[in-house]
Amino acid sequence: MIARYFGAAILAAVLMFALGLPLIHPVDPVAQSLMHALHPPSFESWLGYDHLGRSMAARLAAALRLSLGLAAATLLTTAVIGVALGALASWRGGWVDRAVTLFADSVVALPALLIVLMAGIILPNQPLAFWAGLSATLWVEIFRLTRATIRAQLAAPSVEAARLLGFGPFYIFRIHLWPELAPVLRATFALTFAAVVMGIAALGFVSVGVRAPTPELGLMMVELLPYWREAPWALLQPVLVTLATLLALTLIAGEKRT
Amino acid sequence: MSLLTVENLSVHSALQEMVAPISLQLDPGQAVTLIGETGSGKSLFAQALLGTLPTGLHAQGVLSLLGQQVAIDNPTAIEGLWGRAISVLPQEPWRALDPLMRAWGQVEEVYRLVARSDTPEKATRAVLNALDLGKAGDRFPFELSGGMAQRLAIAAARAGGAKIVIADEPSKGLDLARRDEVARRLRIVPETGGALLTITHDLELAEMLGGEIIVLREGQIVERGPAMQVLRAPQAPYTRKLIAAEPRHWPAPPAPHPGAPILTATGLTVARGGKVLFSGLDISLHAGEVVGLCGPSGVGKSSLGDTLLGLADPAAGQISRGAGLAPIRFQKLWQDPPAAFASHQRIGQGLADLMALHGIARDRLPPLLARLRLDPALLERLPTEVSGGELQRLAIVRALLLDPVMLFADEPSSRLDPLTQREVIGMLTDLARSQGIALLLVSHSPDLIAQATDRQVHLNENPGAPQAAATLQTA
Repeated sequence: MIARYFGAAILAAVLMFALGLPLIHPVDPVAQSLMHALHPPSFESWLGYDHLGRSMAARLAAALRLSLGLAAATLLTTAVIGVALGALASWRGGWVDRAVTLFADSVVALPALLIVLMAGIILPNQPLAFWAGLSATLWVEIFRLTRATIRAQLAAPSVEAARLLGFGPFYIFRIHLWPELAPVLRATFALTFAAVVMGIAALGFVSVGVRAPTPELGLMMVELLPYWREAPWALLQPVLVTLATLLALTLIAGEKRT
Repeated sequence: MSLLTVENLSVHSALQEMVAPISLQLDPGQAVTLIGETGSGKSLFAQALLGTLPTGLHAQGVLSLLGQQVAIDNPTAIEGLWGRAISVLPQEPWRALDPLMRAWGQVEEVYRLVARSDTPEKATRAVLNALDLGKAGDRFPFELSGGMAQRLAIAAARAGGAKIVIADEPSKGLDLARRDEVARRLRIVPETGGALLTITHDLELAEMLGGEIIVLREGQIVERGPAMQVLRAPQAPYTRKLIAAEPRHWPAPPAPHPGAPILTATGLTVARGGKVLFSGLDISLHAGEVVGLCGPSGVGKSSLGDTLLGLADPAAGQISRGAGLAPIRFQKLWQDPPAAFASHQRIGQGLADLMALHGIARDRLPPLLARLRLDPALLERLPTEVSGGELQRLAIVRALLLDPVMLFADEPSSRLDPLTQREVIGMLTDLARSQGIALLLVSHSPDLIAQATDRQVHLNENPGAPQAAATLQTA
């Protein structure tokens, strides 16, 4: 339980920084000022400036808004698709179940990065591409978990009773299935969120993700890598922020069930 | 030398006394049976002997095992004697087997590690042969029949060589044949110089085990004495009530008055998982009629009920329901009452949703609760906070709200103790007869079926054989 609160506290801090910074420190994250290039952290600029004299604080906050926003949108889509298809498959059974499961298995057979890259070519340099590509691949795990959990629950006498008593599928889902499903899915939701944050950073790092000058965590790391000797503090910033975000999500996901 | 001596053993929680002081002595060849309903303290007494009381409860008194005094409030002192001096037959023993270990190993490791036998293989072979398990040594528990798994669990529990055996509800969930076999196995313990302490609410089992009987109620001894004397000539009113609650002592049912046919099935074949359970069954149910459904475990009693209710499709055959009967008027009662309610929802909320869904007037609920002697305050609770008997009666209320014409009751009282069972079954059959409900009642107790139902349908373990005569067998 303590680990979970700790994770939630870190995530809250990251969110506060990402969303709150533009309110108290409204600086354009792409505005250059070569005078300040690689200026270390000081009292005026707490996080310093990068190699093109852009405010590191503003860039980090913007990068986090992009990653976390995309992750939230992707999580919402994958959750809706995964839970809906999982419930449908286990509820209807028979050929519906086989068809949906076969479809999910075929999606898994394709490398997830390939789908994201293809989406990136169709919709170049748009966050929409990441959302579409990651949503298309990450729903499968939620689908599988939902299907397995609901399947066991559907055979329970309480669900049989609800059906005999005339209750419809939505009532049964809300009252009988969701309370059992929610605790199982919570960890998967947190890990899916983390997978999106990491996926975007990984693509940025290998320079096939978001293009410069848009601030993005992976792209910032690769941009600052050549200056690691002069300005290690600058390189460390996107690394630490990514680490903190992923750690927070893992702590939230990893609660032991008692 | 007596094997086990208990002087004034009592169990306390921080607030109250849970079990009043009990003294007893077990000599070699003796059997003692503790009888009582749920909450009578009989299990707490056994747990105190074993040092496995739940946290927050404390035992007091003097306990001697094999002539040596043991500190009763020090669980680790007793733990060292487990298996060697005192052994426990767990409830539903086949669940105590390791599912990933072959039958042979389950017994052999006890001889090797607990009894420290020099020849564990020889001892294992001898005991498995004696229990008719000689050829089953390399099978896994899931490959054993229920009876074989039970014998194996008993063999493993006894392999440590303990003279004192404590059996906790050994007949729970067993059909008659299996229960008689357990009784035979348990009787061997005193016959071979051991001592047996049994905890049960099954009076027939207590009679078969013989020895001394102690009747407990709310932690107090109500009556104690030799088995035959207590069971045949009970002195205490409570003991008489317990004996009267046994199905074989129930009054005979009133003469049946079957009404209009509710449901008729012809040439019914039911299969589950591709295996035909029975075929060619004809069955008809009439309003106000209580029909017993009997047969050995796994013969397809539940599957037949689910098929008649429309929860499962028959493999072949026709089911026709009376004209103009809505599907929701065919209802079911489950074996395990808590499992039939949504675990996260207050009971009253579930009933309110049901009444809203079908437009049932809210003032119909209080008279039904009163009729089944249920406190309306129970509606504010979650299913886990209500006793099994009350929950089963709430399930009956839930079904009655829908004006059922048919109720399929799938062993509705098998998890209830005898007094509660009599109350629940009595209410159920009275309601069926007075409200014109066709009640199909499953039970593994032939006495209960004989005393509570108007006629019986027998399912036999013989797939493929026609059973058209089944409905003709009337009581």
